[in-house]
Amino acid sequence: MIACLLIPGFELRAALRARPRLALVPAALAAEAGEEPLLGPVTAAAEVSGVKPGMRLGEALATCPSLVLVERDPAAVEGEWEEVLRRLEDAGFAVQPLEHGVVVFETRGVERLYGGVQPALERALAAVGSAWDPRIGAAARRFTALAAASVARPGQILIVAEKEEESFLQPLPLSLLPLTAARYAELEGLGLRRIGELAQLPRGAVAERLGIDGRKAWRLAHGGRKARVRGRRPAVELAEVLAFPEAVGNELTLRRALGSLLERLLARPERAGRPFRKLALAARLVDGGSWRRVATLRDATAELGRLRASLGPKLAELPAPIVELRLEAVELAEHTGQQLALVEPAGEEATARLREGLRQVRASTGTGSVCTVVEVAPWSRIPETRALVVPRDV
Amino acid sequence: MVTDSRDPSARGAARRLNAPRPALVEQRFDGTPRVVNRELVTLVREEWRVVDRWWTDEPVDRRYFEVVLESGRNVCVYHDQELGSWFSQNA
Repeated sequence: MIACLLIPGFELRAALRARPRLALVPAALAAEAGEEPLLGPVTAAAEVSGVKPGMRLGEALATCPSLVLVERDPAAVEGEWEEVLRRLEDAGFAVQPLEHGVVVFETRGVERLYGGVQPALERALAAVGSAWDPRIGAAARRFTALAAASVARPGQILIVAEKEEESFLQPLPLSLLPLTAARYAELEGLGLRRIGELAQLPRGAVAERLGIDGRKAWRLAHGGRKARVRGRRPAVELAEVLAFPEAVGNELTLRRALGSLLERLLARPERAGRPFRKLALAARLVDGGSWRRVATLRDATAELGRLRASLGPKLAELPAPIVELRLEAVELAEHTGQQLALVEPAGEEATARLREGLRQVRASTGTGSVCTVVEVAPWSRIPETRALVVPRDV
Repeated sequence: MVTDSRDPSARGAARRLNAPRPALVEQRFDGTPRVVNRELVTLVREEWRVVDRWWTDEPVDRRYFEVVLESGRNVCVYHDQELGSWFSQNA
């Protein structure tokens, strides 16, 4: 059986861990800087005041003037989510996280250990802890499990038998289906409100009207495919942290700190010679917030220079001085060596020779001896003003 | 492109491409070139004028000639009306 554990508003809950008092007052997760000012998840007190997730900020403040906006804390979200996943893994579940606050897992492997599906799921809820208000839905198919978790109450385990899946899905709202806002509007315009109403329509007609999205939604309305859960490989904690005695905003200092963190991370024996595929750079801001950026490398590498070149520019995006810089290895490559090309791409050798030749010319004749032509006014009637010869570094 | 490194002005500074070079020209009574750099002109292929930047301190007033020399070479020369001198340039 596939189980889905759901923690609604996980990002807000994680951000409120450091400020638990705000959980009791009307509060909402602020939009990310530079994005449309739409609210993220909201607290129960905010919902009572009429504030809903996705509401425009102006409208929300007009509805509830005492609404507190909580800044996003991506580092805390990542840390807390990893903690939740680890607790589930410690309880024996091979988890597949879908997004922050949503994780699926198979119960088959642990049913014998705990004495059935229900006790196993109770163990999962206990592992996560009641502070997160988790709820679990379980079914033979993944979408049904997700739908069951979406309608379950905090701390509830909702198990849907395989025979009852379609009848369970029928009265549920269409908003559970992964469709765009425009598609929802289209379906509502056609008078469809429930999953069952969509499921009753002929498959061909839905596909013709709504395309690939519609066909997928129709299949999900019938429970979806019986896809297996691919449990993640438990990640090895590979991170280095540098705490500053006072807030630092100077880019040169930050780059040096990054260089030091990279050297320490490269020296970790757990890496076992494997290059990095994905790295995360996180920082604790001086005002208490956090910042996090993930960099996926085009080619997995363990070269200090290349890692520095790909992560260094991210430091310019820091919104405020920081008191702590953290570098995490999110994903390591499987291989330890670098596969070379048997045949070099056409022109590669000629380019390399030309570059080497120019380098030698420059070395023997000095700076400014190798130049490039730059067009500045190709439309000019005066020939000598059309282009410039500019010295270049090889 | 490799520049003449012996020329100190070439180092480190951008310079114009296709800058005009002084030319030795003997002209006929109508102002067309008869001899260019000690070679007889066998044919004047084309002639045109460029008048520009007359509103600045450095106005441009040139009379261009594309000529074929006795040796068969194609050369482009112009008479600078402001300076009263002849130059060769790839137009």
